[in-house]
Amino acid sequence: MPIGGSSPAVRSAQAERTAGAEVEQPGRHGTGRTSRRVPRGARAERLAPFVLVAPAVLIIVALRLWPLLLGVNFSFTGDGERNGTFVGFDNYAELLNDPLFRTALRNVGLLVILLPVAVAIPGLLATFIYLRVPGHRVFRGVYFFPAVLSPVIVGAIFNLMLGFDGPLNTALAQIGLGPIDWLGDPGIAMFTVVGVHIWATFGMALVVFLAGFSTLDAALLDAARMDGASLPQIIWHVIVPGLSRTIQFVFVTTMIGMLTSMFGLLYVMTSGGPEGSTYLPEFYVWIQQGQMNRPALASAASTVLFLIMLVVGILQVSVLRRAGRED
Amino acid sequence: MPGKRLGRWVAAVPMALLALATIYPLVFTTNVAMKTRREYILDRFSPTTSLHLENIAAAWNSVGMARYFANSLIVVTVSVVLLLLFGSMAGFALSQLRFRGSSALFLGCLAALFVPFQVIMVPLARIMTDSGLIDTYPGLILAYVAQFLPFTIFLMTSHYRTIPVEIIHAARIDGNSTYGVYRRIMIPLGAPALLSVGILDALFCWNDVLIALLMMPSPEHRTLMVGVTSLRGQYSDNIPQFASGVLIAAIPVLLIYLFLQRQIADGVTAGSTKG
Repeated sequence: MPIGGSSPAVRSAQAERTAGAEVEQPGRHGTGRTSRRVPRGARAERLAPFVLVAPAVLIIVALRLWPLLLGVNFSFTGDGERNGTFVGFDNYAELLNDPLFRTALRNVGLLVILLPVAVAIPGLLATFIYLRVPGHRVFRGVYFFPAVLSPVIVGAIFNLMLGFDGPLNTALAQIGLGPIDWLGDPGIAMFTVVGVHIWATFGMALVVFLAGFSTLDAALLDAARMDGASLPQIIWHVIVPGLSRTIQFVFVTTMIGMLTSMFGLLYVMTSGGPEGSTYLPEFYVWIQQGQMNRPALASAASTVLFLIMLVVGILQVSVLRRAGRED
Repeated sequence: MPGKRLGRWVAAVPMALLALATIYPLVFTTNVAMKTRREYILDRFSPTTSLHLENIAAAWNSVGMARYFANSLIVVTVSVVLLLLFGSMAGFALSQLRFRGSSALFLGCLAALFVPFQVIMVPLARIMTDSGLIDTYPGLILAYVAQFLPFTIFLMTSHYRTIPVEIIHAARIDGNSTYGVYRRIMIPLGAPALLSVGILDALFCWNDVLIALLMMPSPEHRTLMVGVTSLRGQYSDNIPQFASGVLIAAIPVLLIYLFLQRQIADGVTAGSTKG
């Protein structure tokens, strides 16, 4: 990074913009620059921008970008006796042969399949709130609150709720069902954890959707209503196209959330069990690093997780870029 | 304004049920926390007849919750102060000043946003161990700052772009240096954004368990959320006590939510729409 470059080209970027609250896209800085040079000899002034960004850049490079490189490099070395020696793709081969890691990957696939549900629920609720169902203000406040709770607290609360003789099974018994072993049945446990994750996070997506709705042209809705469109028709033909950017954004962020913020839930609710059925790559990394003392293998799993995230990230950047062009 | 139809009431019914499903787990937990062990075993669902606050007191005193609470408070406070300081400095420079490499730096910060902690945690633990920072407050604080700084910079940059150029020009004509502009203009005018972003950062740090588990292994260094993970084992035969411990850990966040709901939502949506 070109920190400490000797260029005196410190100008006010503000001059480039038309006045007002328009938010400019990054990367469009270079257009129509108006120079506003700092008085000559003001060395401190010239260095000021670099001094201002220095702490942030140092921390980000040293503790985020550098470890990323270290980790990829580390994933090609051995654990234990072969510590530090180059082993090629051995760790990756071991990963693919590890049933736990395969389960973790399969669970990523399950998350992808359940993703539309996790997006549709807040989307539909935001639509109703936007259309001002009675009590929409209250609903908005209530739905959002679990989103601020720690996954650890959510997990602990749901350990109570989902106990064999807990409230949910008791309620099911009232209608003649159950009891269900929510966290002890390998075929069910992963769905339970994902369900709790959705319970805990749909408020975040809801708020994002509502922000998207505020950019929707109300005249279109009125026109559709005048033409006698039904609610499903309005949703499908007006709201979904009008919110396509927001929907894409929520898709990507929800996916990232599922891949990176379920550790607390898994740790408290299932610890990966029963029979390893609730492993996700992030939990696998933790186990290999923290419990099994296999840091190189953990690094390989991290790298695989990173590749998955990279695909998601590239998707997101392209979404944001398209969003920028539409403005 | 949207319709006059009955349909809106039809939608309100499932929404009310969902709202109930959102609230009930917390109500249930609070109710259980107030019961005695005997009351709980006899009937866990009926509203408690008396407020047994002694569970709360017992949970607070017996498992070192006070200690964990203090650890969390120290680490989160320092982390948020540093995040806001470094984040606003960099946000100001990247949004208002042009200098060599500024857009490359901004893109670098954006790129760092997409590096999840799970991907770097193994080498980060090694770096912290090698530098003797593992299991220390500065180590955990640095890890939090590194984790949430890209996000903080991103939001502060978006916000600072909305501050009109005339104000900055005027301040410069009045003889302010770049640092003066930062201190006298960007800090006061950025206060609402600093509040929103600060609350979000505080929530992230306070709610985290993975980074804290990794960076602070010793029992006496546990943060509150790591402490909560050990409650279940300690109180498996005393559920009201367990529920009390969970409640203690949830109360600060619930209070923040009650009073600062709007600021939290503002922070979340600023991150979502201002690409």
